[in-house]
Amino acid sequence: MKVFISGGCKNGKSYYAQHLAKRQQNDKLYYIATMSSVDSEDDQRIARHQDEREGWGFETIEQAVNIEDILNVCDSTGSFLLDSVTALLANEMFKSDGSVDFDASSRIIDGINVLLEKVENIVIVSDYIYSDAMEYDELTEQYRKALAQIDRATVKMCDVVLEVAYSTVTLHRSTEDGRWESLSEGLR
Amino acid sequence: MKLVFGGAYQGKLEYAMEAYEVSETDIYRCSEDNTDFPQAAKIVYELDKWILALIKAGIDTDTAISDFMKNNTDTCIIANDISSGIVPYEPQLRQWREAVGRALAAIAKESDEVVRLFCGIPTRLV
Repeated sequence: MKVFISGGCKNGKSYYAQHLAKRQQNDKLYYIATMSSVDSEDDQRIARHQDEREGWGFETIEQAVNIEDILNVCDSTGSFLLDSVTALLANEMFKSDGSVDFDASSRIIDGINVLLEKVENIVIVSDYIYSDAMEYDELTEQYRKALAQIDRATVKMCDVVLEVAYSTVTLHRSTEDGRWESLSEGLR
Repeated sequence: MKLVFGGAYQGKLEYAMEAYEVSETDIYRCSEDNTDFPQAAKIVYELDKWILALIKAGIDTDTAISDFMKNNTDTCIIANDISSGIVPYEPQLRQWREAVGRALAAIAKESDEVVRLFCGIPTRLV
């Protein structure tokens, strides 16, 4: 099943997503790590996520750009966890030489399209950053808009769409055949 | 009255135009620089921006919203949900955030339909 999860930060999205990916596992279980560290703060964040995954049986694939390239090294019948679209966009949009790529979102949408055509079991995590009362600078606003474009395009290709708020889950789209109910049974 | 709300870029206008069969010419677009009362239209888009204009001009928003509602009983109102971030540092943005909250609560109470958009997916709340 293809599952899209979004919501505010530090709300338990990743943890919930890990459980779902684990439950979808038949053979291989992949964690697609998208964050590329730029400083010690990132290192700590990554280390915390790694600790949380310890013992789950995830094989970690680091893919900061060109997300569809994971198909070159992964078995497409595996169960995937892609965490997160937010980091992927930051990597594709803001280049290390300081330049900004405003076409990043359409490229990522194409990549996710390719991926979702090949892969059956995947959980994709994004961040809901659209409901605050700030007036952002132009660049940040472009980033928010680009992430929303990717979210909405990805949602169109997913079977299940979830919003997580402080560990409570709102189901925005579900399967009609009971597959979601049996996958998520008893999971909180 | 109908209320369609959600975060930025979630597909609110697209949804309302299709669900209520409204064409581009029947949409009034609010601006944060225009304090004029929104003109009669089937959709009043981004009411939160009008509220920001009122606040910048020092106009009482609760009275303005109450008058607006009296004259827009058949309108579909679209607004950005700006309630779920950090309290803004700027006093005017703090006022704005609270004024929009009060306005949308009042409008939702009077609406026969309230819809929230999440990543393009509508959920009917009322």
